[in-house]
Amino acid sequence: MTMAPPTLAFLVLLIPLASAVLIALVLRRRGGLASCVSLAAAAGLAVGAAYLALWGGRFSFHAEWFRLGEFSFPIGILYDDLAALMLSVVAVVGLCVHVFSLGYMRDDTAKARYFGGLSIFMFSMVGIVLSDNLFMMFAFWELVGFSSWLLINHWHEREAASDAAKKAFIVNRVGDVGFLLGIVLCYWRYGTVNLGELGALSASGAIFSSRAIPLLLFCGAVGKSAQLPLQVWLPDAMEGPTPVSALIHAATMVAAGIYMLCRIQVLMVPQALTVILWVGTATALYAALCATIQSDIKKALAYSTLSQLGYMVAAFGLGSISGGPGPGVASGVGAAMFHLTTHAFFKALLFLGSGSVILGCHHEQDIFRMGGLAGRMKFTFVAFTVGVAAISGLPFLSGFFSKDAILYLAFANNRPVFAVLAFTAALTAFYMVRLWRVVFLGAPRSQAAGHAHEGGWSLTAPLAILAVLALVGGYAGLYGHAFSGVLSLVPEAVGADHAFIFATSVVALLVGAGTALVLYGKRAAERGEGQAGPPDALERGAPVLFGALVRLRSSFDRVYDYYVAKVQQRFALVLNFFDVIVLAGFIIRGAAGCAGLVGLGARALNVGRVNAYVCWLLAGVVLLWALAAR
Amino acid sequence: MNHPLTDPLLISLAAPLAAALLLALNLPRRWVAGVAWAGFLVPALAALHVWWHFGAAPKQAGYAFLSEYGVGVPSLGIGLKLGLNGIALPLFVLAGLVGLAAGLVALRSGAERLRGYLMLLLVMQAGLMGMFASVDLFFFYFFHELALIPTFVMVGVWGGRDRTYAAMKLTIYLTVGAMLSLVGLIAIYVKAGAHSFDLVTLREVLAAHPLHATLQTHIFGLLLFGFGILVSLWPFHSWAPPAYSAAPSSVAMLHAGVLKKFGLYGLIQVALPLLPSGFGPWTHLLAGLAVFGNVLVIGLVTIAQRDLKLMIAYSSVMHMGYAFLGIACFSVLGVGGAVMLMVGHGLSVALLFLLATSIHQRTKTFALDRMGGMARSAPVLAAFFAAATFASIGLPGFANFWGELTIFLALAKLSPALAALAILGIVISAVYGLRALARVFFGPAPAEAAGEPAQGAPPDLGWGERLPALILLSALLFVGFWPKSISAPINSALEASAAFSVSGGAPADAAAQAPR
Repeated sequence: MTMAPPTLAFLVLLIPLASAVLIALVLRRRGGLASCVSLAAAAGLAVGAAYLALWGGRFSFHAEWFRLGEFSFPIGILYDDLAALMLSVVAVVGLCVHVFSLGYMRDDTAKARYFGGLSIFMFSMVGIVLSDNLFMMFAFWELVGFSSWLLINHWHEREAASDAAKKAFIVNRVGDVGFLLGIVLCYWRYGTVNLGELGALSASGAIFSSRAIPLLLFCGAVGKSAQLPLQVWLPDAMEGPTPVSALIHAATMVAAGIYMLCRIQVLMVPQALTVILWVGTATALYAALCATIQSDIKKALAYSTLSQLGYMVAAFGLGSISGGPGPGVASGVGAAMFHLTTHAFFKALLFLGSGSVILGCHHEQDIFRMGGLAGRMKFTFVAFTVGVAAISGLPFLSGFFSKDAILYLAFANNRPVFAVLAFTAALTAFYMVRLWRVVFLGAPRSQAAGHAHEGGWSLTAPLAILAVLALVGGYAGLYGHAFSGVLSLVPEAVGADHAFIFATSVVALLVGAGTALVLYGKRAAERGEGQAGPPDALERGAPVLFGALVRLRSSFDRVYDYYVAKVQQRFALVLNFFDVIVLAGFIIRGAAGCAGLVGLGARALNVGRVNAYVCWLLAGVVLLWALAAR
Repeated sequence: MNHPLTDPLLISLAAPLAAALLLALNLPRRWVAGVAWAGFLVPALAALHVWWHFGAAPKQAGYAFLSEYGVGVPSLGIGLKLGLNGIALPLFVLAGLVGLAAGLVALRSGAERLRGYLMLLLVMQAGLMGMFASVDLFFFYFFHELALIPTFVMVGVWGGRDRTYAAMKLTIYLTVGAMLSLVGLIAIYVKAGAHSFDLVTLREVLAAHPLHATLQTHIFGLLLFGFGILVSLWPFHSWAPPAYSAAPSSVAMLHAGVLKKFGLYGLIQVALPLLPSGFGPWTHLLAGLAVFGNVLVIGLVTIAQRDLKLMIAYSSVMHMGYAFLGIACFSVLGVGGAVMLMVGHGLSVALLFLLATSIHQRTKTFALDRMGGMARSAPVLAAFFAAATFASIGLPGFANFWGELTIFLALAKLSPALAALAILGIVISAVYGLRALARVFFGPAPAEAAGEPAQGAPPDLGWGERLPALILLSALLFVGFWPKSISAPINSALEASAAFSVSGGAPADAAAQAPR
């Protein structure tokens, strides 16, 4: 291949766009062909990404897209190890999800729209990854929001899907208000939003002292990565097709917030990092608590995603370890990106596994109506088990290494956070083993589960690839030196610390998994069959605790619903009343009547007469004018 | 100097007038559509032609395609002089494209007395093209009136619900606005003492001998409120929602899309360059009215709307707030952003009105509560409407995004707090845009929800409806992906303007002295 790497990078960006355009223009009614085009684009992207990562070198490139006055909108590519790692993750998971979708969406009536949406998503996501400046990143940031809307909305006949898509877009835009403001202020304050130039400024000794700018930019991550208090859209987003949940709402788009933080690491100041740290920690704990009471397989995984994203954000917020490699927040970046990578593999695996389960059980999503699938869906069972083991932190699987790095960083930098994250690790093991036990073991609890069956190769092949990655993805040596700029930053515990962290994580795993196995063990499973009472053993055993968790889970939505329905909507109606009645009716019409009362002229009494309108309009103008111009 | 028969600017305004005259001549019925077609098509082609050749065309004081015709009152310094500078060019193209789309819609509208309707619409189209192509202030105003008066008649005669009330309100407000701005323009003419309405001459004269600052401030005030009323500056906006709601589709497209931009265009092309030091005292008032009134209050009012067409009308008022904000920044970035937003908004609001009419033809209602689930049987209509909605709420890839982004940037330089308030608008517009989109197209159909048997499913967009929508959507995407196509001429025109180089940093200082 003789193509210059920057050209190849642009090609990687534009291939999925070309696929989306082609599908939108000519393949709208040709679902089969559209899926092939989209799959080919994803494969091309994967090949390009692999070539770039291994042999493309590292480069940056930019050009002016347009200019107005002193402002020049740049487009450019910054391809460093960070971008290379993220692009590889997006490419691998993207390709797996495309293949899985061939089987999962085989009988869908709007296949072309679905695959076109996947392509437009890949385009937008690759754009975020490659952007060398925040303006360009913001443009693609909005576009992933749009593709997310499009794909959540796929089954738009269902009101729930339509509402969830709307909610996701709007909540993301709330975060984007801060993000955009942060970008704009950064531009005026530091004179550039180019990531390379910001890095150079910081290296040359310029001090980035603003607390507001990194925190405003973080708002964008709070929206996109669904951190507290904007996490409410992600569980609802599970209304989308399951492969979409795997790609967008688990592995890539929601991780873009963490990636963005790593891109702007030079702007961070300690106070901002503290806020980021606690937001992430609180999200990790809150979401893990919510995950323990879910009966919908996808929502359980969604809350688990939230919790793991909280881990990554917290890792970033922990900043650098004293005496660790690299400047600034390097250790945090290493730990966050490492966990992002392994999480992308095992969470995509879990979601696709749940997709296989859902399809096998004829679109049943309630885990208490499954059971005993291990025997009927052996392949999915094995793959899902690998995912569960990885996320729970079973030693020597991918999740174990990345989670340990975060726990070690917390142990070294902030003990309270360490305690919370270790407890969350136990909760993680609990809710994942609970899910696994209830879905795959015991006896089938419904007709559908009894007749479950494995899907075709397009469903199993991606599971196999992702399962392998979830097994071995934690060994940094696997990647050669391709991403060493990031992975060498991962903090590694040594000596007594190492033993302590190892012990903590094994204890967390044993306690969490053990509790789940006891609570949802054989007796509980047998009792559930055909008997009165709630199906969840926790709900039967500790109804008070269960009720408290349910209230905790819905508290945010209740507050927001109250705000939207009772505050915003009423305020809008009052303003509308003001606009229609007071401004248009009273001031313009009624003013004429009032004028007559004060005796300013009998003619003005004639409400609705042209003269009165003109007089009062002019009077208003004169009044405003007098106020402003003396 | 072009020969009159090859001057694309003259052709662009003569062709619709000629078509209108031909229609008046009692042509055979089968010719009507063809003649009207040509009358709308020629200006669009002329617009694309000048856009394509603008970069290479020879320019005089920034104006290309200049030509003078001996029409006017030479003793008063009035003469028909046509030409385009970098600010007029994108709006001229906008007028051509929206005019073509509106014409295509009108031809299929099945309106009663179609011939009269088309005639008025053609006259309006000629006025719109002339308004942006005039270098002479008198004709600039004259062409605006030429476009405005047919609007009153068309709303009053061919309008929908409450058309009499809407037409009267529209007439009163816009007449007052036009009168105020006319007084301002005449004041400039008299005080400049150059005995010329030629904008280029006036610029030169007033750059050499600027008016007294107080006088500039007062004339600017007249123009600001005169033009402001025409662009629905809060609180002078209440003509807009009933008028657009009542107006027939093509008229709403042309007025909201193009004619309304006259006021902003006048501020940018006339008021700022001729009265550069008159703006300072007004910038904070304008920015305040635009942020609190147009963006926040009207934004929330838009959320409260339950009627699709009223919602689009209010959203248009809201977006004009951004354009005012760009102008209030008084910088190349802000004003340039305002022009880019004018183009984006013109295209997207015209597309929304067009599609709203298509929806109405299928549902027989504009009430959002009585719609639902149309995406099932009309996926193309849904896709177009979704694209128009996302364009109007500023999604990247559509023209509006660049306008909003540059305006926010310029505003943040002036005042980060105002920028923060203005950026809140992106949430508000997402709320009403996506809510309407979901209400019309997604979820269950209203009959199903009420448990009634479903009636015949509404049909999808036919090619006759798709063509005008495609014209507008392609332009939105073209500018969205290739912003340079309009930003380059805008930038060169604004950077050459003395107003910004002389007082580049001035508004903040001037505003500091402004009485509050």
